[in-house]
Amino acid sequence: MKRPARMLKKALLFSALFFLAAAYFGLDAASAQTVQVKIGAILASNQNDDFDSRLAGIEKQLKVMKYRSYKLLKEESENVQGQANVTFSLPGGRSLVVSPQESKNNQHALKVNLKEGDKPVLDTTVRLNNGGNFILGGPPHEGGVLVLSIWATAQ
Amino acid sequence: MKNCESIQESLGAWLDGELKQADAEAMRLHVDGCPACTDAQKKLLKLNVAMKAAHAPAGEIAFEPFWLGVRTRIEEKRSWTTDWAEWLRSMIAPPSLAWAVPAVIVLLLAIFSYDNFLPGRGQRNNFAAVESIDAHGRSVALLREDETKTTVIWLYQNPEGDNEATSENAKKGPTF
Amino acid sequence: MELTDWELVQRSQAGDVDAFQQLVSRYHQKVFTVILGLLRDREDAMEVAQEAFFRAFRKIKGFQGGSSFYTWIYRIAVNIAIDAQRRQKRNPLDFRETMDEAFEQQQEVAKDPFSDVHDKELRTKLVSAINDLTPEHKAVIVLRTVEGLSYKDIGEILGCSEGTVMSRLHYARKKLQDKLSAFL
Repeated sequence: MKRPARMLKKALLFSALFFLAAAYFGLDAASAQTVQVKIGAILASNQNDDFDSRLAGIEKQLKVMKYRSYKLLKEESENVQGQANVTFSLPGGRSLVVSPQESKNNQHALKVNLKEGDKPVLDTTVRLNNGGNFILGGPPHEGGVLVLSIWATAQ
Repeated sequence: MKNCESIQESLGAWLDGELKQADAEAMRLHVDGCPACTDAQKKLLKLNVAMKAAHAPAGEIAFEPFWLGVRTRIEEKRSWTTDWAEWLRSMIAPPSLAWAVPAVIVLLLAIFSYDNFLPGRGQRNNFAAVESIDAHGRSVALLREDETKTTVIWLYQNPEGDNEATSENAKKGPTF
Repeated sequence: MELTDWELVQRSQAGDVDAFQQLVSRYHQKVFTVILGLLRDREDAMEVAQEAFFRAFRKIKGFQGGSSFYTWIYRIAVNIAIDAQRRQKRNPLDFRETMDEAFEQQQEVAKDPFSDVHDKELRTKLVSAINDLTPEHKAVIVLRTVEGLSYKDIGEILGCSEGTVMSRLHYARKKLQDKLSAFL
């Protein structure tokens, strides 16, 4: 005799288990992974005490640098498939090339090249958590310094 | 009209007098006209008779000794450990355990996969590892701030200066 | 004038042990009989039945009359018996010997319905088959067969729906029929 209520409970429970297991261990397929790369270009300076409210989500991270004001200059995101790369143009004639390398264990390895015109300024490979970010800063800009926040999120 | 399998599932309830009148009447009509269900009914009746006979009457038990046993329990002081052990035993009895185990697994996976569903929200786990770095001759600093778990890569200005003109304030760089 | 169960419960809740004693006197036989049907041992059944009334006494202040007192006490007793069965480790021979003891104590040798060999074998196999049921399935069989309780009452005692009672009874009877097909 069928026990639909009990079977439904079991089906729901095991579906939940499977779903969470898949989410935890990640549905990593390095070559087919699409990663959304998002950058925020920020002007940090001591010219005033203004804090751009659009940066509220990363306020604590920015204040590590102990500048008095922070202003969001631009925010841009791109979906990158596999190991392709994406180029973001930055203020001051600069550009940032980001190329996701591999995604594993809920982390993304990003190869990041900062250029001024065609001249390489910084090359780095950073491994960060899915949805996490890191800060890259220092190039001078408009009386302050340019600070970049770079995120990577699996799609 | 229901098939015989469905009818026979309700035979026991019919013989126990638990069906509604309309259903009981429909059952009777079907069984009267169906040899297979009539046979099933007879087997069930035999089983019921055998079970009643197998359960021999308990015989009367004297009340006074029984009440004495209950009263003794009421009057003795049980330690809290006995009560706790009883409660714990009922919690870990097999049927509860059968559901407790997958429930604990689901809970643990939910905790560990929190970041999957709310990526970036949990600043507490904003770990980033710098695997390689080349500043092309410039000074670079790498630091992690513990409270926000923020990784910062800081490029210092080249003192020989082929960067754009800077203000006095910017030259100082950040004070971490 | 005889007090109702609920009146006795209310007095017990106020601390009147004599009122509780009256409740025990009304139901101790029924509770013992059901538990004996589950555990098949008089001493164990006595122990469990007394424990059930003791626990009822401790919980009586929380009893709000949502069900009748007798279904409530049955529920406590059956749960203790089911727990005891899960902890019990007995072999089938013990059960048969226990049943023989029960019959002897009954002193109804002349009326023994299992006087011939075939019936005795059926009884042994039936007892063994009932014992092989899970505690929950055994409970519905005993409550229905021994006590003749309605599905509604059985559901209240076991904390399940009438549909579940019907389903469990059907399953238990089918299992027993399968094991006793040669005899029935």
